[in-house]
Amino acid sequence: MSEPRVLDVSGLLPYRISNKSPLWLGQLLMCVIEGSLLCLLIATYFYVRLSVDVWPPPGVRLPSVMLPTVALIPLLASCIGSYLASEAAKRDDRRGMLVGMISNLVLGGIFLALRGIEWRGLNFTWSSDIHGSIVWTILFLHTYDMVADLLFTLVLIIIVASGHYGQKQRLGVHVDTVAWYFLVLIWLPLYGVLYWGPRALGAK
Amino acid sequence: MTALEELRAEPQQAEELARAWKNRPGPLGWISVTTHQELGMRYIVTAFIFLLLGGIEALMMRIQLASAENTFLNPARYNQIFTVHGTTMMFLFAVPVMEGMGVYLVPLMIGTRNVAFPRLNAFGYWIYLAGGLLLYAAAFTNTMPDAGWFAYSPLSGPQFSPGKGVDVWAQMITFTEISALCVAVELIVTILRLRAPGMTLNRLPMFCWAMLVQSFMIIFAMPAVMIASTIFLLNDRTIGTHFVNPAEGGDPLLYQHVFWFFGHPEVYIIFIPALGMASSIIEAFSRRPVIGYPALVLSLVANGFIAFGLWVHHMFATGLPQIGEAYFTAASMMIAVTSGVQIFCWLATLWSGRLQPTAGLHFIFGFLFIFVMGGLTGVMLASIPLDLQAHDTFFVVAHFHYVLIGGTLFPLFGAFHYWFPKFTGRMIDQKLGKITFWLLFIGFNCTFFPMHILGLHGMPRRVYTYVPEMGWGPANLLATIGAFIIAAGGICFIANVLKSRRFGTKADPNPWDAGTLEWSTSSPAQAYGFIHLPVVASRYPLWDQEKSKDIVTGLRNDRREVLVTTVLDAEPDHRLVLPGNSIWPFLTAVGFSIGLYYSVFAFSGYWIATALGMIGIIGWFWPRQPLDIRP
Repeated sequence: MSEPRVLDVSGLLPYRISNKSPLWLGQLLMCVIEGSLLCLLIATYFYVRLSVDVWPPPGVRLPSVMLPTVALIPLLASCIGSYLASEAAKRDDRRGMLVGMISNLVLGGIFLALRGIEWRGLNFTWSSDIHGSIVWTILFLHTYDMVADLLFTLVLIIIVASGHYGQKQRLGVHVDTVAWYFLVLIWLPLYGVLYWGPRALGAK
Repeated sequence: MTALEELRAEPQQAEELARAWKNRPGPLGWISVTTHQELGMRYIVTAFIFLLLGGIEALMMRIQLASAENTFLNPARYNQIFTVHGTTMMFLFAVPVMEGMGVYLVPLMIGTRNVAFPRLNAFGYWIYLAGGLLLYAAAFTNTMPDAGWFAYSPLSGPQFSPGKGVDVWAQMITFTEISALCVAVELIVTILRLRAPGMTLNRLPMFCWAMLVQSFMIIFAMPAVMIASTIFLLNDRTIGTHFVNPAEGGDPLLYQHVFWFFGHPEVYIIFIPALGMASSIIEAFSRRPVIGYPALVLSLVANGFIAFGLWVHHMFATGLPQIGEAYFTAASMMIAVTSGVQIFCWLATLWSGRLQPTAGLHFIFGFLFIFVMGGLTGVMLASIPLDLQAHDTFFVVAHFHYVLIGGTLFPLFGAFHYWFPKFTGRMIDQKLGKITFWLLFIGFNCTFFPMHILGLHGMPRRVYTYVPEMGWGPANLLATIGAFIIAAGGICFIANVLKSRRFGTKADPNPWDAGTLEWSTSSPAQAYGFIHLPVVASRYPLWDQEKSKDIVTGLRNDRREVLVTTVLDAEPDHRLVLPGNSIWPFLTAVGFSIGLYYSVFAFSGYWIATALGMIGIIGWFWPRQPLDIRP
């Protein structure tokens, strides 16, 4: 029997703030879960669309295209904030993290405010008919995710601003941006389906 | 230090590790546990308690059906009992017990100390427990759901199912899904990133492959049931959405589509881990590497994919376009190919091996026999004309019990007998184990074989009685007798576990002389698993002895540190300090559950769940000393 050999790993880093961290993969999988949920809702949208003749039902105005389209600008811009925050987290640049996260929070907040205004203009609710049910469900779930993510961003801002943080919290800042990118990216197909889909299929 | 010096220092290092991985005493310590063996065992024990409850419900149904026009249960009670039986077995037993086995065994099999997200693991367990308590709290306060385990609308809608039973059912699903999703995420990350150095994906034990495939399936399938049960059904019932209400443009078939888009993969989520267990047990007890490792892995992966293209075969009787249905027939038959490949690989392994006729192996033979029979009726049911005749008859009941009990419960019992020494440190009584097997095997066939014939003679499922003129009495009586033989097997199993746990002979680390890593740890495994993480150079490190001695050094023993490796080749990447025990996962689960319980009554429950869950998660992630992770 030969002498056993050793693999010495004491020289390796005891943490890693990058996409190679297991936490990043975990966050990605959480996004996949949420993504399959929303994709199934897109399928549901077209399923119910195809099973009725008139869409939206008589008397219901389609959600306007204008406001959500304008809202895309702060939404896409907020990703820059996320990007800056995650790069700053890798460098342990406290100011950079704060600037990135705060701009993310503000721009995300503007997007949500615009969505709030849009909701006040809708002339249907989730209980008026099937069109209302599916549109509200998609809007609600996506908004809920966004609000939750922004709240956690706020918590991270407080932690980083207090200076009471270490590598784990920096990793938190980094993977938080993954969730935000996901919420922005998944909104693009949802936006297309909700606002352009019915118009492309001939509704007014 | 050289390897020999390291190995000589092991007793001292073990002491250090034990300190770092110790759980605090007392009830507060008990609910703060985040170690995978403890949580895995809690999953398994809890799931077996639900199995017992589901089994009692099954016996009640069998007593009712034992003779024509029996009055043991009234029709309403019978509906409740079969609903709770199905729900318990699918959501509270079968999925969680597989998750528990995975949580317990995967880290040991891949050579690490814990799962990648220990606190998520704890949260998942508490949420699962909360869901189970919700269903049984409802059962004991007489608000049982009664619309079947898949709760089709319009029967389950507000019009035909007043009361809170169906709402409880719908929200109970959410609990078990969240729990399953937590475990799926953590097992995928554990398997992909925490494997011992050298354990390339090509050397991953079969059971871990099965858990990997199953976890990915959970990630894509479980969101569908949340949509069906909470977004469609519960919201229709509580806040007046119209997803399954045809009067406002909704469609009951939509519910069926989405439910079965989950429901069919669900069956594979339950039985793919069992296939992994079967492979592990077969290779250990036939003393040879399993034949056709690549074929087996590819079959598992293919099963995972095909499972998502089968759901309409549950809906053949709904009048969908025939051309579409034909596709699903073909896809359903395709499953027989991938399953057949696995069966032949196992047979070849058994044929060419030196068999150890242990209790564990008995269960595998039972599995092969019963599962193949269930598979054959599955191929029959995939054919639309036959399915239309047999739909909603006892033939279907017989079929799915053959595949689910044969395909899942038998390998699971085999696995329990096989890994018992690792769980408890003692050997399980082989004689009693074999008696358990024969009681279950004979009882099972007595119960479910007659159901094929009853179904072909037209006996519908889910009816609480029948008239004597139908001539179904004798077969039903036989099935009831069989059910009691199964119950005797269950009692024998429980007795064996209780007895062997206390009085069984002490087990060596590797009593079966098996080849995979979990058998290189002490029996029972310590909380930290390995004193030195192993370095792996083959698929069966313990069978290739001289290679298995290579070890990892340089991990700190005074904190919960593991080694992160790369996804494909398992090359060391960095070290990772896992979080320790914490009460916050428990508190988060409690807060979340309070809100979700309330959401059965009003939508505002979700706001409560959000607020309390948020507080819990902030506490969970709040920075703790030491902030800096020092090398």
